[in-house]
Amino acid sequence: MSTPLLMTMLGAADQPLPMVEKLRYLVPEMILFIATVVVMIVGLSPNRAVRRSCAAVSIAGLAAAGAAAAFGPAFEGGVLPGLMPFAKVLIAAVGVLLVMVVTGTVDRDFEGEVSRGAAFDALRGNRAEFYAFALFSLTGLMLVASADDLIWLFLALELTSLPTYVMVSISTARSRSQEAGVKYFFLGAFGAAMFLYGFAMLYGATGTTALYGPGSIAEVLAARAASGEGLGMLATLGLVLSIVGVSFKIAAVPMHFYTPDVYEGAASSVSAFLAFVPKAAGFLTIILLLAAVGWHFGPAGTALPEPIRVTLWVMAALTMTVGNVLAVMQKSVKRMLAYSSIAHSGYMLVGVIVGPGSQAGATGSLQSNGLAAVLFYLLCYGFMNLGAFAVLAVLEKRSGGEREEIETVEDLKGLCRTQPLMGWTMVLCALSLLGLPPLLGFWGKFFLFTSAIGAGEIALVVVMGLNSAIAAYYYLRLVGAPLLESSDAGASFTEAPAPARKWAAVLSAASVLVLVLPAGWLIQRANNATGVRPPTTPMKASGGTADSASTSAPAVRAAR
Amino acid sequence: MPLPVLAASELANYLPVGVLVLMAITFAVANVVLSLLIGPNRDGATKADTYESGMLPVGTARKRFNVRFYIIAMTFLVFDVEVIFLYPWAVTFSNINPQSPEGGVFLGRVLFFMATTVIAYAYGYRKGVFRFD
Repeated sequence: MSTPLLMTMLGAADQPLPMVEKLRYLVPEMILFIATVVVMIVGLSPNRAVRRSCAAVSIAGLAAAGAAAAFGPAFEGGVLPGLMPFAKVLIAAVGVLLVMVVTGTVDRDFEGEVSRGAAFDALRGNRAEFYAFALFSLTGLMLVASADDLIWLFLALELTSLPTYVMVSISTARSRSQEAGVKYFFLGAFGAAMFLYGFAMLYGATGTTALYGPGSIAEVLAARAASGEGLGMLATLGLVLSIVGVSFKIAAVPMHFYTPDVYEGAASSVSAFLAFVPKAAGFLTIILLLAAVGWHFGPAGTALPEPIRVTLWVMAALTMTVGNVLAVMQKSVKRMLAYSSIAHSGYMLVGVIVGPGSQAGATGSLQSNGLAAVLFYLLCYGFMNLGAFAVLAVLEKRSGGEREEIETVEDLKGLCRTQPLMGWTMVLCALSLLGLPPLLGFWGKFFLFTSAIGAGEIALVVVMGLNSAIAAYYYLRLVGAPLLESSDAGASFTEAPAPARKWAAVLSAASVLVLVLPAGWLIQRANNATGVRPPTTPMKASGGTADSASTSAPAVRAAR
Repeated sequence: MPLPVLAASELANYLPVGVLVLMAITFAVANVVLSLLIGPNRDGATKADTYESGMLPVGTARKRFNVRFYIIAMTFLVFDVEVIFLYPWAVTFSNINPQSPEGGVFLGRVLFFMATTVIAYAYGYRKGVFRFD
């Protein structure tokens, strides 16, 4: 009879939250997983009507997951106890629109053959896998929000990313998509290796993979900071490596190079997916990691450790500038939107630098909470960026027997007259991305600006302001072409035979307008979601000066 | 304790390992030598060929395989990994007191886990992996 082993298996070890307990908070993920499984089987049905229910099943699963997250039990543990419901409801809401946008991406030619009388061959269809991968990716994204451990975080991040590599490759039949998929995969693996190395160093520096709880990274680092030693070389290096590796997911400098190529090579619908899902995963990861470090350094005790702050500062400034300046030079709408998504990552990094803007434990005030601003911006960005990509996904034209998407800004000319719904959607979303009041994008930027000013990051605010001015140039081209110019003869775009895409575009444009009304309530939700908890038992390393020379984790634990 | 005695006593722990290494070497050498001495010797072109699991090792290296092999390998992997998880479970399960309620919970969990792998089987079946024509 081996009682200790049994105790471990039953989860009765001295973990902060045993797995059986954790499952209560993972109900949304489980619902999504069940939906994924159903989609995987349903999508292979020989019956056409059953096959076509994939999107409906996905949307139902996402809606149920969102409801489960909104009305689920309140989470007690974790670094950011309030993060889960906010992030998961946001993921479910944007996820529904994303699934609507990706409808009809795969199997169009194959389904055409089948409807003309060809036999259905399950091996040739990609529908089941495509929807299942989209849902797997969204499940991974929700799991990132639930993460309280480095290993969990890594697995969830990879669950988010791995399906997207396949989605890019099978999104169109053109070789360009396969090239994009291969590029995305190899650079993604490179990024993953990098942050895995960073995680390993964090483990080496602290002796634990838990982000929060007794003896966790948060506590070890807090004890080290309290004893005046700083983070230590290894932990700092680990954090910097993790952040740089994760910057692949959020498409920030220095790992942004893939973005325009991959977004251009993938179908527009999948680009919309890529522009939100990995980015949200990356930002949630960075927020969770840095919340374990805490914003209690610096002279005022409300900043990140200086090396981390400088790294993020340089990354934010470069990301904004590179994204916006290169976007100005683009002719292709998709490349322009890809660079714009890089720039938006730069804006959001500013909020990460600012942090919760208060001492740990207290919920920050609205004006100074950078993390709330990031979460709110993620929401704004999710809707407005999706609308812009959805317009590109809706419109297509046939040239030489091949379907073509909108390529250049010239293709958008006169869209408000030829395709009023899509034209105005593009105008609204571009204006919102630009940050024109009173649209949603303005409020997103507003809270980022106020939090940065509140934290005294004036130089960064100036860079942000300059970048918003640069961004106006290319966003106004996206506004002017459909609204003011008249269309060239011959460039006639028709709607793709996937009505859900049109509805997704219209819904995003509507949310850009309508979500302004509850913006105050939403930022309050985001504010509640980002109350960083203090480590459970604040420790002081009481060892003498001889002890403090060694910064290894066992020494810190011994000092407790 | 004097150093030589300590070293000797510690080295004594490795005696089984030493015996095992000796046996392994003896077995390998003896097999080669014995088959050289008493085995029949039938040489030929086929005998001199590289053994490739029954495949003809001649021809282009970029030969195409039927994609079915790959899908079946993937399906096999699902059940392969499942078995890996069943072993530690089985080892622990025998330690559980039959009277305690944990036994049912333990059994239920592993049955649920096995049910999830049925999904992979259902997917493979629908995809036509097991259809040979």
